[in-house]
Amino acid sequence: MAARAQVLLCAGGACISSGTDSVKSAFEKELANSGLSDEIELITTGCMGMCEVGPIVIIYPEGIFYQKVKPADAKDIVEQHLLKGRVVQRLFYMKPSTHEVIQAISGIDFFKLQKKIALRNCGVIDPVNIREYIASGGYEALGKALTDMKPEQVVGEVKTSGLRGRGGAGFPTGLKWEACAKEDSKQKYVVCNADEGDPGAFMDRSLLEGDPHSIIEGMAICGFAVGANQGYVYVRAEYPLAIERLSIAIDDARKLGLLGKKIFSSSFSFDIEIRMGAGAFVCGEETALMHSIEGKRGEPRPKPPFPAQKGLFEKPTVLNNVETFANIPYIIVHGGAEYAKLGTEKSRGTKVFALAGDVNNTGLVEVPMGISMGSIVFDLGGGIPKDKKFKGVQIGGPSGGCIPQEYLNTPVTYETLPALGAIMGSGGLIVMNEDTCMVDLARYFMEFIAEESCGKCTPCRVGTRIMLDLLNKFCEGRGTMDDLARFEELANTIGKTSLCGLGQSAPNPVLSTLRYFRHEYLEHINEKHCRAGVCSSMMWAPCVNACPANVNVPAYLGYTKYGRFDDALRVHLRNNPFPSVCGRVCPQWCTKKCRREDLEGPLAVRAVKRYIGDLRQDYTGLYPKKESPNGKKVAIVGAGPAGLTCGYYLVLLGYDVTVFEKQPEAGGLMRYAIPDYRLPRKVLAKEIGNMEKLGLKIKTNVSLGKDKSLATLRKEGFEAIFVSVGAGRELMPKIGGLDLPGVLPGTKFLERAAKDEKINVGKDVLVIGGGDAAIDCSRIAQRFGAKNVTIAYRRTRKEMPTNPLEIREAEVEGVKVEFLVNLVGIKKSANGRLIATLKKYRLGEFDKSGRRAPEEIVNSDEDREVDTILLAIGHKPDPGSILMGEDMMALKDGALEASEKTGTTPVADLFAGGDFVVGPSTVIEAIAAGQHAAKSIDRKLIPGRKEYFWEKYDTPAVDFDPEKEIEEALPVEYPLLSSEERLISVEVEKTITKEAACRESGRCLRCDYKV
Amino acid sequence: MKNLDELRKIKEEVRKSMEMRSGGQRVKVVIGMGTCGIAAGARDTMKAFMDFLDAEKISDVAVTATGCAGFCEREPVVDVEVQGQKPVRYAKVDREAVMKIVKQHIQGGKVVQELVFA
Amino acid sequence: MSNCECGDKGCRNPLYDELDKFIQSQKKKKGQEILIPVLHKAQSLFGYLPIEVQEYVSKAIEIPVGEVLGVVTFYHYFTMQPRGRHTVNVCMGTACYVRGSKKVMEALQHELKIKSGETTPDRRFSITVQRCFGACGLAPVIMVNNDVHGRVTPKKISGILAKYE
Repeated sequence: MAARAQVLLCAGGACISSGTDSVKSAFEKELANSGLSDEIELITTGCMGMCEVGPIVIIYPEGIFYQKVKPADAKDIVEQHLLKGRVVQRLFYMKPSTHEVIQAISGIDFFKLQKKIALRNCGVIDPVNIREYIASGGYEALGKALTDMKPEQVVGEVKTSGLRGRGGAGFPTGLKWEACAKEDSKQKYVVCNADEGDPGAFMDRSLLEGDPHSIIEGMAICGFAVGANQGYVYVRAEYPLAIERLSIAIDDARKLGLLGKKIFSSSFSFDIEIRMGAGAFVCGEETALMHSIEGKRGEPRPKPPFPAQKGLFEKPTVLNNVETFANIPYIIVHGGAEYAKLGTEKSRGTKVFALAGDVNNTGLVEVPMGISMGSIVFDLGGGIPKDKKFKGVQIGGPSGGCIPQEYLNTPVTYETLPALGAIMGSGGLIVMNEDTCMVDLARYFMEFIAEESCGKCTPCRVGTRIMLDLLNKFCEGRGTMDDLARFEELANTIGKTSLCGLGQSAPNPVLSTLRYFRHEYLEHINEKHCRAGVCSSMMWAPCVNACPANVNVPAYLGYTKYGRFDDALRVHLRNNPFPSVCGRVCPQWCTKKCRREDLEGPLAVRAVKRYIGDLRQDYTGLYPKKESPNGKKVAIVGAGPAGLTCGYYLVLLGYDVTVFEKQPEAGGLMRYAIPDYRLPRKVLAKEIGNMEKLGLKIKTNVSLGKDKSLATLRKEGFEAIFVSVGAGRELMPKIGGLDLPGVLPGTKFLERAAKDEKINVGKDVLVIGGGDAAIDCSRIAQRFGAKNVTIAYRRTRKEMPTNPLEIREAEVEGVKVEFLVNLVGIKKSANGRLIATLKKYRLGEFDKSGRRAPEEIVNSDEDREVDTILLAIGHKPDPGSILMGEDMMALKDGALEASEKTGTTPVADLFAGGDFVVGPSTVIEAIAAGQHAAKSIDRKLIPGRKEYFWEKYDTPAVDFDPEKEIEEALPVEYPLLSSEERLISVEVEKTITKEAACRESGRCLRCDYKV
Repeated sequence: MKNLDELRKIKEEVRKSMEMRSGGQRVKVVIGMGTCGIAAGARDTMKAFMDFLDAEKISDVAVTATGCAGFCEREPVVDVEVQGQKPVRYAKVDREAVMKIVKQHIQGGKVVQELVFA
Repeated sequence: MSNCECGDKGCRNPLYDELDKFIQSQKKKKGQEILIPVLHKAQSLFGYLPIEVQEYVSKAIEIPVGEVLGVVTFYHYFTMQPRGRHTVNVCMGTACYVRGSKKVMEALQHELKIKSGETTPDRRFSITVQRCFGACGLAPVIMVNNDVHGRVTPKKISGILAKYE
């Protein structure tokens, strides 16, 4: 009796190591217990492709998809689903981007977007059951070829299909076969290259494990077409399961007479032997591979002669990759023309890609050629885990290159990839996020090549060694610009002069990282900085490296753990004079690189910082030692975080510093944009007051351009001027109705609120934008008594450039956020209110930032009546309003030409930093800019200082045992007021307790500790 | 392997097993398998369907289970859905009823009126 | 190694009989072509390829011993050093590298107190580096003998090792 239902269990390599075998025995037991063994068939299949969520179980006929199935789950699936028809929801797949639960395999994008030809049987049939292969149409192509076709017709179909070698080089398969078929020789060979050496590629492994018969059939057809009767499959020794299943398949095929003498009663005989590789990457090169089959050292030889003329044992040989052969049966059954319908003009058909690295759905996918790289990574791959930023894709292994975010729209074909400096290769795609250092990646590949170089030719053997040495220098912070020049020259020489493909392509990863990530090389060389936090010899600790102001996080956590709060604060004030402010508003770059993230979660650094800052009202005695006055005067224009920090450091270095501020109070955006409920004014006033006590002079209500100019400042004896007046120009949409009452720019609105003006916003408020300002506007409007506050953002939640916690808090307070809509018009309504016209958007192609750009949906306009519209779509610096006369030379195309790293400008005594230079950014970035500018100003006015105190790091003088077991401890939660408690002027977040601060600090793994 | 016919014979033998995975069934039979359904004999109903379908060599029918539909006193309840038509619900489906449904409805295309859940 | 453990000099290690059997099962019984399969078999029997085993292979399939040595030293998979009972292969493929195999290797070396390429004094474990097992979906990956362990973190190392006596 045939079964009524089937349980398909993925037995691909990845699922097996996740536990398929024990899940299978659990199912066998449960089915027997429930008396269902006769009705339900249990089938193990090859790789289904979704390795990330294995072991996978699919139940047919419904096609229900269960993920991460454990042996204990078998009972539920059998008793609930198979017996009672109730699906087991807790095992359903969840879409990573939306957390939507999906029950059937047909609903999962990962499968929906694929077109499976080479993988047609993988995950569908039992790979070691030849009858299942036959039942799904297997060996029909061989039968058809042997009974109905002539060898030249077979070659013709393959030529028509446009199939190109899937191993990497992309040579047309039909032409290769034709060349071999034309050779006059009694003995010819067919060789299948399964020496899948590119790290990150595993499609050959999955095909051999999941559908070995398709390779056998493809090879036999090839043998018939070219006149060969012996085949070899050269498999890596690292793939024991593939070898096992392929051996079983070859035996089964022999038993049924599908291999051996006179197949299908024709005159054609064919047999296959397996040859195990022995771990030499160069054997993936075809001439080296053939030497290895012959039992020799796997060294390449020059071509021509090509294998089609003189190959294995000097006989004409066709050598194709596993995936190439897997496509052949489909082409013979359906015709070359059918296959050629897929893909692009020069790259026909489909290609299998192995997705790995920092991507949600790791696994195997088969898609039509020409699909965009972005679609593979984001639609099929499900995007980047943990909301990290996408950096690039490495394609083609050690011979390939990387594709950065700017090229996500590029169609993937044999032609487009080389134009970008990469290659198709065998199709291994490694997705990389912001935590990958591109210099280190180049070093990794060069180490690989240097080790795998067979040594036969000098450029490859010696050249790669020297390149590796140079890369090691870069990664250790010892590199120079001369090294870089030499490095580039070598890369070009090795590529031109090496003997085989391995050597010729060896410099590719280097050239590609240099092309797209040159700035990372320059940072390593000039600033001794690794932005990804990978190159450890240049870092004090990953968190310190990540912090723009390089605050010594582990040191103040180390002191806090033992209750030495003053010492902790002392450490903090060396690099950042705003512990209480940053303890409230810092976006915490440090925690994004926190190594504790791999355990229970990163440290709650901001909570600790806030605790130690709030302990002290007076920082006297905690600041670094002030140097004696040097008699030089510096002016600072703009009392925001950048200006105040620059002044703070200059005062400590002995300068006489005056800060001019046009507002009535100092603080900049900290005072006039960040609302009171996030940053209370008295907290800001405390930290600024302490700086004044230290000697910083602040003059408010003085406006540059009106009360003073750079020229008058110079006349007053200021020897350097630092300008940090923020990004004051509000961006406005290009629509009508902006002058109607009730329409307000966001920052103006926030500023008026910060000046305690009571603004009547009415009942219905619409906020346009998606950044911090939009969120702040909405929450202030809520506090002014609006009933319905809606934020309209033209992208989606994922693209919002603001802290997700802030969005959540706004929503808790009742703000509604609408996505994929934008304001396109404002009119006055009949009753004196406003009519906002909103247009719907959808996400289209990828833009340069690697995000999908919104595109309009035509005829989707919708009118909405509101009382107030707040426009918070962005702002930018307006240097033209400040500079005049000769100082105008600091402008280029209307923008200030200032170094983001040093604050210097083309005008010798003029320095600039903060939002005024880089546009809207965060408080901590502004603090860093002030720090850098202080150093530049000091270097300019009193040259010769060797080091700056904030660039020196010490390990805290507290007990620490690096050998001690790490105890599990969850991070402390940020205490929040309930939404009812949140009234105007009440801070939403609270300070943690002393115990919590000490305990949390104790979680620090002390990555700064050096043995 | 002598010829293609020999190959196709093997294919035919395993065909039903493969069709289940392709989702290409013409008819769907859904049997209520709640606690009351099982108590009323739904397991036997299920077996009966499979026996008859097998005996008649019908391979394009999917037999699946579902939870309780809430008609306890009329169990076993069975839905039969021929592709492109509205599903038909039958009540108190015993072995004899199964035979009728298979012959008349699934093979003949005519609904077994006297068994229809009213 | 070449002798049986009974101590009698004339008594040959019975593993050689198995190797002979394997050679006789090949289509061709001698010559360069079967050298690599025979070396694979020999290494799986003896655990490594000491010079006396290479000499034996050289005679058995009638190729110069220098040729055998040349092949053994060319391929990473063959080793002339004895290995532990269990070989822990740490994958250093790109996907594993990007996902932190360096940290896994550090933890492993710390746990076993040996470096990559070495064997513990009790011959229980050896550590080697490999270039990609094709299990990139589960990166980072280690392979103990033929068992693949996926999503390995430094924390999981001791639990995995405990399974191998």
